[in-house]
Amino acid sequence: MIPIEYYLTFAAILFAIGAYGVMAKPNTLIVLMCTELMLNAANINFVAFSAFTGDVYGQVMVIMTISVAAAEVAVGIAILLNAYKVRKSTNADDLTSMRW
Amino acid sequence: MIMQYSWLIPLIPVLCFTIVGFLGSKMGKKTHYGGYLVILGTAASFILSLLVTLEYTGFIGAGNYYPDAYEEHIDWFTVGNFTLTFGFYIDILACLMMLFASFISTMIFTYSLGYMGGYEDEYQLKRQRRYFAEVALFLTGMLGLAVSSTLLEMFIFWEIMGLCSYLLIGFWSFNHPEGDDKADNAASAAKKAFLVTRMGDVCLMGGLFILFFAMNGHLEYTYVFNVDNLAAAYSANPGLMTLASLLVFGGVIGKSAQFPLLDWLPDAMAGPTTVSALIHAATMVKAGVYLVARAYPLFLLDPNVMLVVAVIGGVTAFFAATMAMNNMNIKKVLAYSTLSQLGYMFLSLGAGGYLMASAISVEGGGIVIENIAEFTAGALGYSAGCLHMVNHAFFKALLFLCSGSVIHANGTEDMRLMGGLHKKMPKTSITMLIGCLSIAGFPFFAGFFSKDLVLDVVFELFEGNINNTELIFALLWFLGIVTAFMTAFYMFRLWFMTFMGEYRGHHCHGESPASMTVPLMILSIFAFAAGFIVVFGWEHVFTFSQVGAVANGDAISYFLVGGAGKVFEISLDPVLELFKTWKTYVTIVLVLVAIILAYLMYAKKTINPGRFNKNGKSALYRTISNRYYFPELYNQLSWKLGYDVARGVEFFDRQVIDGTVNGLSSAVVGGGDLMSKAQDGNLHTYASVVVGGIVFLFVIVLVLFGQFGGLF
Repeated sequence: MIPIEYYLTFAAILFAIGAYGVMAKPNTLIVLMCTELMLNAANINFVAFSAFTGDVYGQVMVIMTISVAAAEVAVGIAILLNAYKVRKSTNADDLTSMRW
Repeated sequence: MIMQYSWLIPLIPVLCFTIVGFLGSKMGKKTHYGGYLVILGTAASFILSLLVTLEYTGFIGAGNYYPDAYEEHIDWFTVGNFTLTFGFYIDILACLMMLFASFISTMIFTYSLGYMGGYEDEYQLKRQRRYFAEVALFLTGMLGLAVSSTLLEMFIFWEIMGLCSYLLIGFWSFNHPEGDDKADNAASAAKKAFLVTRMGDVCLMGGLFILFFAMNGHLEYTYVFNVDNLAAAYSANPGLMTLASLLVFGGVIGKSAQFPLLDWLPDAMAGPTTVSALIHAATMVKAGVYLVARAYPLFLLDPNVMLVVAVIGGVTAFFAATMAMNNMNIKKVLAYSTLSQLGYMFLSLGAGGYLMASAISVEGGGIVIENIAEFTAGALGYSAGCLHMVNHAFFKALLFLCSGSVIHANGTEDMRLMGGLHKKMPKTSITMLIGCLSIAGFPFFAGFFSKDLVLDVVFELFEGNINNTELIFALLWFLGIVTAFMTAFYMFRLWFMTFMGEYRGHHCHGESPASMTVPLMILSIFAFAAGFIVVFGWEHVFTFSQVGAVANGDAISYFLVGGAGKVFEISLDPVLELFKTWKTYVTIVLVLVAIILAYLMYAKKTINPGRFNKNGKSALYRTISNRYYFPELYNQLSWKLGYDVARGVEFFDRQVIDGTVNGLSSAVVGGGDLMSKAQDGNLHTYASVVVGGIVFLFVIVLVLFGQFGGLF
């Protein structure tokens, strides 16, 4: 059996990649995908712990997260489409009108 | 019978004030815009006062109330167990005050018909409405003051007078018939009068607070001036009662323009001359004398308070007289003479009071008279002061109205532009001569009796012994004698400059109308004869029996409430004695010399006045012309002290208080500005901050767990 450290390390790397993407990528679509990466990193943790402790709550939580992430992506894509209609760009550096 | 309706006496003028004030302009030119109504009301007040006085003294009606006071009151309002009453209190002093105030006011108002109604300009004529309404309110103040039954009620009327003096002195503060300069002058004079008397009023109010405290929450005359209550309060806390007396006297100093608050009265000449007559003769400044006479029992508790009264009076009498010596303005000379004569009244009241206060001893159980002879002699001072107040009211009203007549005819107040008016205005000239003789103290004129009685009382106090307190009174007596000389001199200087010699003016309309000269004649009869009331006076009038009403040596006289016992008569001896002492003849000779000197200097012109003052260049002359630099002193005080204090306060307000508020708000605004820079709208920044924050917290948690094994 693969020890749990591997799962956790993998999830941490996945989360770090996602975080890096959110912080550094100019394309908002990629930012959106990177948030998915971070969510899924968390999901992997849930599943890993669930399997190792032998109870089902972690997996229930994952189902919840996936459905919420699906809804979030729907909203996010819709916002991006509208932003693109107005600004002709989905670049994060161009969408900075919500500021002082 | 009529006594019960005494409250109508101040009520009638205030009704006139309301009616004329609101409806005067509808009454039309024929009635002088309500002038007739006011005169009618004042005359009604006078008749009522006369009836009340007659009933009080037992001439008409069922009872003879004299010498007890007649008092009635209603409850005004009640707070806790303190009830404020409102009522009237009739004793001989109140009778005296309301009699001469209403009588002289009737004369002055009648005269005003001619004086204020003499304009051709429709606008100036219409102002009679305001004039008559305000003088009616003024009279209300005085009559209300005279019949008040509590000190608080008295204070209310006292303040009404303060207000009216402000309004009337500043009557011409806009649209002055002689131009804007005069209007500005009137406005600043009114302000000065108001502010200076206000200083006194604050003192008086403080005095009333202390009395209220010391007298267990009572301010009614029947309680405050009761022998037993006074004695109890004084034995409980002598210093407090002395302080209260001095503060009350502070109010008097402001109202009666005594040293050092004397400077507003000469400036008050900016008002119409009739108003000056009203202020100087019937109301306002007499209120101060009345208050001292009314609060005599209180002042008697401490001889030192009486000493203060006497010294202030004597000093004012002297200083004011010197300032009248070289003034060229006919009204200002009269103003200074008022100050000087008021000084005499306070000198008399103070000196008499000092004698009386030394003759009694105050103990917890009551007041005991230890030396009846001395006490009686002191009572003479009280009578002399009151008598002089009445006499002065008559001759000063007369003099002011005469000067008004002269000003009316000549259109100037400068005596250098008058002269030789005797032929043109014979009635004014003769009546004014009577007034001058009276104020100068020419034998058998009204002023003679009272003034010599005053000097007599002061002399009584040192009687040749000169040490300590006696020295003070010897000085005061000397000042009084010198003042008598100066009074005769400057009054006749005024008369000779105005009515004798060559005419130096531009034009003179001639004699004034009958509405002005008839009051002059009536007043001149009183200015001459008022003094004889002492000689032929019946016992009930303000002669000495009233003040000397002493019970068998164990209670104080009857102006104290509750001093039961039989009346101790003082005969007319003091008046007859007047002619037996050398002092009286000294004064008479001095007066005659002064009149002759004035004649030689200003009518015959054999002595050139310029010789004495280096033609107006000597230091003394200039000092006196500048009123001893009193206005300067006031200005300096108010600028240096008042202005600097105000600036300090303003600095504190702007810098500290405003600074705190502004600093707080700008700190919030600036902080917000600074923090809002973080909101740059860039997604990456937000994300970095969030992630950075999480990492930071995570590290902290790790460290905490690693080092201390837990958060808490």
